[in-house]
Amino acid sequence: MLSADLVIATSVAYVGLLFVLAYFGDRHTRANRSSFLRSPAVYTLSISVYCTSWTFYGAVGNAARSGLEFLTIYLGPTIVFVGWWFVLRKLVRIGRTQAITSIADLLSSRYGKSSRLAVLVTLIAVIGITPYIALQLKAITSSIQAVAASSEGARGSLTGVDDGALAFGIAAGMALFTILFGTRNVDAKEQHHGVVAAIAFEAVVKLAALLAVGIFVTFTLGGGFEAIYDRAIAAGIEVYAEDTFGARWLSMTLLSAAAIICLPRQFQITVVENANENHLRTAGWAFPAYLLLMSVFTMPIALYGLTSMPEGANPDMFVLTLPLSAGQSGLALLAFIGGFSSATSMIIVASIALSIMVSNHIIMPIILRSSSNLGQRDGQGVTNLLLVSRRISIALILTLGFLYFSLTGDSDALAPIGLISFAGVAQFLPSILAGLYWREASLRGAATGIFVGFLLWAWTMFLPSFETVSPAVAKIMAEGPWGIGFLRPENLFGLNGLDPLVHSVFWSLLFNTGFLVMGSLLSSQSALERIQAAAFVDVFRRRPLPQRNFVRGSATANDLFFVAERVLGEKRAGALFESAARETGVDASMLEPTPEFIGRLERELAGSIGSASAHVMLSKVLAGGDVSLEEMMQMADETQQVIEYSQQLEKTSAELRLTARKLEDANTQLRELDSQKDEFLSQVSHEVRTPMTSIRSFSEILLDPGKLDETQRQRFVSTIHQESLRLTKLLDEILDLSALERGERNWENRPVDAEAALERALSVCDALLRQRGMRVEHGDRAHVTMVEGDADRLCQVFINLISNAVKYNDAAEPLVRVSSTIRSGWYVVEIADNGPGIAKGERKLIFEKFSRGKRGAVDQEGAGLGLAISRQIITRMNGTLELVPGPLPGACFRVRLPVVRNP
Amino acid sequence: MDRRKLENGVFVFALCGAMLIVPPLVYIFNQPISHFGIPQIVLYLFAVWLLLIVGTALLTRYLPLAPGEDEQGDGDG
Repeated sequence: MLSADLVIATSVAYVGLLFVLAYFGDRHTRANRSSFLRSPAVYTLSISVYCTSWTFYGAVGNAARSGLEFLTIYLGPTIVFVGWWFVLRKLVRIGRTQAITSIADLLSSRYGKSSRLAVLVTLIAVIGITPYIALQLKAITSSIQAVAASSEGARGSLTGVDDGALAFGIAAGMALFTILFGTRNVDAKEQHHGVVAAIAFEAVVKLAALLAVGIFVTFTLGGGFEAIYDRAIAAGIEVYAEDTFGARWLSMTLLSAAAIICLPRQFQITVVENANENHLRTAGWAFPAYLLLMSVFTMPIALYGLTSMPEGANPDMFVLTLPLSAGQSGLALLAFIGGFSSATSMIIVASIALSIMVSNHIIMPIILRSSSNLGQRDGQGVTNLLLVSRRISIALILTLGFLYFSLTGDSDALAPIGLISFAGVAQFLPSILAGLYWREASLRGAATGIFVGFLLWAWTMFLPSFETVSPAVAKIMAEGPWGIGFLRPENLFGLNGLDPLVHSVFWSLLFNTGFLVMGSLLSSQSALERIQAAAFVDVFRRRPLPQRNFVRGSATANDLFFVAERVLGEKRAGALFESAARETGVDASMLEPTPEFIGRLERELAGSIGSASAHVMLSKVLAGGDVSLEEMMQMADETQQVIEYSQQLEKTSAELRLTARKLEDANTQLRELDSQKDEFLSQVSHEVRTPMTSIRSFSEILLDPGKLDETQRQRFVSTIHQESLRLTKLLDEILDLSALERGERNWENRPVDAEAALERALSVCDALLRQRGMRVEHGDRAHVTMVEGDADRLCQVFINLISNAVKYNDAAEPLVRVSSTIRSGWYVVEIADNGPGIAKGERKLIFEKFSRGKRGAVDQEGAGLGLAISRQIITRMNGTLELVPGPLPGACFRVRLPVVRNP
Repeated sequence: MDRRKLENGVFVFALCGAMLIVPPLVYIFNQPISHFGIPQIVLYLFAVWLLLIVGTALLTRYLPLAPGEDEQGDGDG
């Protein structure tokens, strides 16, 4: 017969076996990187740490009490794993790129490496998981008691030992075991391959045990599914689940889906212990399959137990008591070991996960803050400190679980206790999902959301679990705090008529999400938050950038090595620094800590002590003052550079535009000039050709002797002579101009009387004026005025201007007006006419070479060089020649020359 | 198939799975009748569950592997 002593002895032996498995598992994976212990199968099996003794024993109890409702606990995770490509894959990828060590680390890292958020999440996780650990203690205690009560004399050495003492013994044993098991060393990536191997083994054991019991009960005892259901219907048990699918079904599915992501132990196994992202491909379907197998026989066992066991038997223990009552000691022992496996695996992983969180996020920051200089600590370094703090955390967590167990008594069934934990950790879900997909989710939003959700959970769910043991709590439940019925925990804000679980889940998640969204919309993110948000949300979109959260401060490689050695140990720190030195090609002692290297070091440290602590630690060493400020400055600097660059671009492009416009103008002018030149050339050719033609024809006639008399000959020769003169004059003008332009002509400015030059020009033109019948109007005249210049040249300019006024004038009563004055040191001559004037388009070109007014008669002699030459001459005399609006309708030219003061 | 469409397909598959096991769709099969001696609703839920498992296994075969990692071991195996 099975006795309590035997099962306790078996348990101890089983734990010993697990220890050996973990030890060799560790050695095997260390020696052999591609060990089968890193296979997808082991990964999937280890995820089934989800199936605790709640599943093993409690599911049957739940099925016996509430029918199909127990399935929700499996269907929620099934949906999450079916959609692994979206949430889990992203979590795993982020976990690996950011060296995440726990769920608190994930949230803290996402929301700007905030230490405070990490502390909040850690505290909530510890409080939330406490009922769950109590549940495991309760399950093991109940199962041992069930064995002890199964027959006379089975109690053995347990005689006189009550539940509390037994549970204390179990808790102490578990604490010892977990400390030995999970905190032997601080690992690089916080992975425990040995533990995972043992967990996977336990997963096989519990599945085998449950299937064995299920097959035995269903087929040996019950005679098949149909017989069991028939018997249940005959016994009046509701098997059709008429009222199962309501708000509670929905809430529980949601909670279990949240739990598979948010439970610290699930996060530890699924994300932190993940050795290869592709393992998720197998787990995506294999884990739901595992869950399916775990629950196939739940309903038959529950129904058979209800119909065959005596009234008042605890349905939570059917898995154990049915084989016992059938006299199957071996099967009963297997069932006990299965239940024990479920409980131990949960306790081990949960307490490891929680102890990492407590030591990384609460104990380490306190030590980091209290010690002003790490270098002054003793040589043991941070590693030992971490191990000690983790061991203490494990003891603390199990103590809390034990306290909860003794406080709440054993009146509750298993399932409701588990749901309290599920609802507690589900408060992380909104912030995790927002962190993965919503870039604007901010620290303030996440922290207030989680905190408010936690408060509501504690008020509406955690507190009511003490109702049966505390009269004060019972009073609050019935009347509300201080008699305010509005705030009664299970009827909050006057919301009545809901199942307590649905009520709590609704309020806590509603306020949680509401505060998260509003807080994020109303607050702004720090620089580090923005960087981390992008790194999380876009983890698949871009190549992982080197993390650069620090700018190089005053720290030397030595300082950094000191820190790294304390946390990572001498060997790993040395390897890290040497590889960095190799990459940069310098000696390890000469290594300059670049921002990239510091980023890498931070990641390595984060893998051991969490991102927030690593950040604090490095910022202390780097002595860079406020890190976020420096980061901000770096970002501002980059922004500034971008702005400056774009301003430069704008300036350059404006300059380019201006130059382009100038070029365009110049081009137009050139084209115009070019066409003018062509026109002029044809004009010149024409004018050269006319005299040449007459010269040629006359010379041909002259060459033919005898036909001409002397008079005619004389006439022809003189014509040839005149034409030659005309040609020479034309060529002279061209030569003169080009000589003037090139400044070749000798030129000496000496004081001359400008007024005399003007008079001379008028008298020269007198004949021409008379011939055209032109009237000369004399305006004001200056008296004798001396200017620097050449009298003949000046006279030439005046003659040119006057003759132009004559030549182009086609008015009925032609008129030219000449005036001269002295204005502020300048001698000014204006020559105006009442001719057609000069068209707007020509005004610019009129002084150019080869230009001549279009309206000028075609038969005009002169090559259009007159004005160009005149302007050159005046310029040489330091004066100007311009076209100005005159007193008469036609053109008006103004000559200005500086007056020479009389010595 | 186009990878984006495949990803959307996986999403729709998970969404459909979720919708099939919660009200109101689950009401359709929640009738007080039995097949092979087992209530219809129990058969239905397990059938959906099995379908999700098989469907995920099939769809996963077409999803691309994570870059830089082989399918089984870790790194240099």
